[in-house]
Amino acid sequence: MTESIKSAAERARDASNQLYFELASGVSGFVLALFMWGHMILVGSILTGERGFNWLAGMLEDYYIAQPTVVVIFALFLVHAVFASRKIPAKLSERRRMLELGRGLSRSGRDTPAGSGSEAFQPHLESLLWIWQVRTGMVILVLGSFHVILLGIDVLTPLFGERTGIEALSSMARVKAGLWLPYAILLISVEFHAGVGLYRLAVKWGAGSFLSRPILHIIERVLLWFFLGLGVVLLLVLAEVLPPPLAFLLSAPVT
Amino acid sequence: MTRKESTVPRRLHFEIFRYNPEDSGSVPHMQTFELDEAPYMSLFIALNQIRETQDPSLQFDFACRSAICGSCGMMVNGRPALGCRTLTSDLPRTIRLHPLPVFKLIGDLSVDTGTWFRQMVEKSEAWIHSEQAFDPEAQEERMDDELAQAIYEGDRCIECGCCVASCGAANLNADFAGPAGLNRMARFLMDPRDSRGDADWFEIVSNSDGVFGCIGMMACHDVCPKELPLLEVYAYLRRKVLTTKIRH
Repeated sequence: MTESIKSAAERARDASNQLYFELASGVSGFVLALFMWGHMILVGSILTGERGFNWLAGMLEDYYIAQPTVVVIFALFLVHAVFASRKIPAKLSERRRMLELGRGLSRSGRDTPAGSGSEAFQPHLESLLWIWQVRTGMVILVLGSFHVILLGIDVLTPLFGERTGIEALSSMARVKAGLWLPYAILLISVEFHAGVGLYRLAVKWGAGSFLSRPILHIIERVLLWFFLGLGVVLLLVLAEVLPPPLAFLLSAPVT
Repeated sequence: MTRKESTVPRRLHFEIFRYNPEDSGSVPHMQTFELDEAPYMSLFIALNQIRETQDPSLQFDFACRSAICGSCGMMVNGRPALGCRTLTSDLPRTIRLHPLPVFKLIGDLSVDTGTWFRQMVEKSEAWIHSEQAFDPEAQEERMDDELAQAIYEGDRCIECGCCVASCGAANLNADFAGPAGLNRMARFLMDPRDSRGDADWFEIVSNSDGVFGCIGMMACHDVCPKELPLLEVYAYLRRKVLTTKIRH
C-alpha cells in the first residue's frame, strides 16, 4: 500500500520534471535566440567604424551590462545544451532511421507530375529541418563555447588588446587572422538553429492557431536571411575586406 | 484534370517491398512490376490489377476504398498515405511502396495496426470514465456546441497509422503515445462526461511517452489523410499541462 502511494508520488514528480525539462529547453532557447539577434545588432555598431564600436562596447562594460550578460548567456547556453539534447537519439542506428524518414518525407512530392491537380503530396521539410537543427546545435556547442569563452576573457580580463574589454582593433585583428572561418560557420549555424527553433517553438505551443504555419515560415525565413546577410557584412567589415558602410554617420566631430 | 485521356497512357513502374515473415525462406527485397496507367487510377486499383494479372501472392490491405476504414496506409515514395485515396496521376512514373514502419509486418504491404492502437488505448485508458450509474431513462446531458465539435474533430481519426509511421519519435520509442495517441488523450481530456480531472491526466500527458515525447517534426499533421489539426491538439495538451501545474 505504502509502496503504491510512493510510486504514485514518484510518477507525479516525474511528470512535473518532464514539464520543467521542456520549459527549460524552450525558454532557454527562446531567450538565446532573442539575445543572438540583439547581439547581431550590437556588433552592427562596427558598420559605423571603430569609434562607434568602441564607444558601444565601452558603454556596455562601464555600466556593467556586458560582464553579467556573458556569464548569464553562457549558463543559459549550457542549460539549453543539456535539456534540448535529451531529445537526440542516442544510437547511430536510430539516427539513421530518422534521417531516412526525414529524407523520404522531404523528397516525396518533389517530382509530382506537371498538371497534377493535387496538393496532397507537398514535400514535407520540417522533419529534415529538425535533423539539421541537431547538426547545427552540435556545431554551436563547439564553436559557440569557444566564442563565448574567448569573449568572456576579453570582457573580463585585459588579456587581449590594450585594456579590459572588447576593442575594435583586437577584434578585427582576430577575425582577419583567421577566425573569420569558424565565425562564418558559427553564423550560419546560429541563424539557422535560432530561426527554425523559434518557428518550431511557436508551433509547439500553439502560435499556429492564430498565425498559419506558412506565415510563421515566411517570418522565420525573412529573419533568417536578414540576420545572415547582416552577419556576412559584419564579418567582411571586421576582416577589413569592406570599409564600414555607415562610417559617415560618425564623420562629424563629436563634441 | 489537365491530363488528356487521349494521350498514350504512362507505363508505371512499381517497386514493391516483398517479405513474408511466415515463410522462413523469404528474404526482404524490392520487386518491380510494370502497369499501364488508367484515368483516375488509385493505388487501390493499381495494386489489385497487379495482384490479378501478375502476382496473386502480393499482400496488401483494403476494405472501404473511401478513406474511412484506415486499412490501406502504406509508404508511397517515402511518405505515408492511404492507397485508396492516392491517385497515380499525382505520382511520378516510378512508384516505390513500402509497408508502414512502427507496426508489425504481416507480409509485403500489409501491417497490423490493431495491436499498436489497442495498447495505446489501454495505456491511456482512452474511454469514458464515469462513476455515475447509467440511467437509460435520463436525458442526455447537454454539451456546448463548440466543445462537441472539438471532440468530434478528434474522433474523426480513422486509426490508419499514417501519422505514427511518419513520426520520428514514434519510430524510435515504442512506448510513445504517438500522434494518434495524443489526439485520443486530448479528445477525452476535453470530454466533460469523463470523470478524470486535469490532475489525473497530468501524469499521462506530461510525460516523455506523452506530449513531451513529441519532438516537433510536424510530419504527422502534414500526412494525416483526414487532415486532423494535430499540431493544435499537441499545443492544447502542452498548454493544458502547463496551466494544470500552475493551478495545483
